[in-house]
Amino acid sequence: MGRWLAKVAPGGIVLVLLLWGIEEAVDAGLVKRSLMPAPTDIGRILWELFVDGQVAGPLAETLARLGIGFAIGATLAVIIGLAMGYWPRVYGLFEPLIELLRPIPKAALVPPLVLFLGVGDAMKITSIALAVFFPVLINTVQGARGVDPVLIDTARTLGVRPLPLLRKIILPASAPFVFAGIRLSIALGLILAVISEMIAGTGGVGFLIIDMQRAFRVRQMYAWIVILAVVGYLLNLLILAAERRFLFWYQATERT
Amino acid sequence: MLGRRSGLLLIAILLLSWEMTSRTGLVTSENWPPVSAILAGLVHETLYGDLVQVIGATLSRFALGYVIGICAGVIVGFTFALVPFVRRMFEPIIELLRPIPAPALVPPLVLFLGVDDLMKVTIIAVTAFFPVAINTMQGASGVEPIYLAVARTFRTGPTRVLMKIIMPGTLPYVLAGMRISLALALVVTVVSEMIAGASGVGYYLVLMQYAVRSADMYAAIFVIAALGFALNAAFLAAERRLIFWYAPVP
Repeated sequence: MGRWLAKVAPGGIVLVLLLWGIEEAVDAGLVKRSLMPAPTDIGRILWELFVDGQVAGPLAETLARLGIGFAIGATLAVIIGLAMGYWPRVYGLFEPLIELLRPIPKAALVPPLVLFLGVGDAMKITSIALAVFFPVLINTVQGARGVDPVLIDTARTLGVRPLPLLRKIILPASAPFVFAGIRLSIALGLILAVISEMIAGTGGVGFLIIDMQRAFRVRQMYAWIVILAVVGYLLNLLILAAERRFLFWYQATERT
Repeated sequence: MLGRRSGLLLIAILLLSWEMTSRTGLVTSENWPPVSAILAGLVHETLYGDLVQVIGATLSRFALGYVIGICAGVIVGFTFALVPFVRRMFEPIIELLRPIPAPALVPPLVLFLGVDDLMKVTIIAVTAFFPVAINTMQGASGVEPIYLAVARTFRTGPTRVLMKIIMPGTLPYVLAGMRISLALALVVTVVSEMIAGASGVGYYLVLMQYAVRSADMYAAIFVIAALGFALNAAFLAAERRLIFWYAPVP
């Protein structure tokens, strides 16, 4: 307990000092309340949002879109990635196209998607799926191509057919890379969820943040940003937990 | 490589079918302009329009924010690695700020700094800061202990250790972080222009979307992709020259 405290204390103290400093500055009128409300005010709004249950709606909307988009994007990416990693012909066929599409910031694809799909959920889910697809694909391909050839040859010698081979040997062997790609794609997917909601203007956490800003309801805006940050943090923890469970056998290189 | 040719062929076929379906009226949507129209529009806008200024505006913001961000990142990264106490003091705050998606920072920054370049440069710098800071910190702390031990055997002074051992050893990590920051900073530049812009490629993109000038809109996307590609290629070239000696552990 003492050691944990020693580790956390300096950072915690600085954090508390910072919040307290902001609080005092706002109270003393040094900072305009319309720009930076007192942290206690923000905290109060957060509390109200939770107690009133107002958090649930927009948060569920955003998370649902993120979840569906992620599921579609990641699944497609893993399937195509494994195929590309195992069959050189497939790799050669798709690689130039992927390299062409990869540098396009997926956020830039939101306007054309709006023209095609309107401002509904389809547009948002598609944007998220696109953002999730590429990192997972690239990492899966890297992982699949890097599988120890001895494993593959042994399996082939034992008569394993391609499909079970992919599923039982190549997929688990590439799992560390796939998870790294998933971790990256969640962050990107969240960014795109927020952007698409901001641009579409129909609901969700992203929309609320920009809406509150336009309405100069600053405390609400900060409250929702905090919620968003917490969501991002929790999602990251979730992936790390999943990684620990699925990759307990993997000796990763140094982690901070 | 034989396989690659099929890939290039695929791209050609897709582009051709895009052109064909649009020209022959198979797909009669406003949003489906022929590829040739996009390219023609691109050339026209570059020569006669203000596309060059638009790109210039975006690039100047990007460059300023990026340089500030990576400089701050390197400084903080080294400080954190070399002075663990400072790290313990400030790391939690940084860890709290890091998960916030960049577009969510745009509205509060708009309140503080308006919709001008200052806001965009700030958010670009903040975005560029994190990967470089983290990588620098990791690189500086992860210098091969045996080098440090040898230095101590030879009683090398701390300054020389810093300049000759720690900095070169950290350089590959710093550059890796800079490469990540490059991509992120470009995205954030475009996004900030899309959400709260009055100039630049991102703003142009959204403007074309509202005006349903789809050919120009796709041209803008092409420009953005080309910018990303060019910046990345330039960076890789510089990297190859700087750390030709580095062999990453697979």
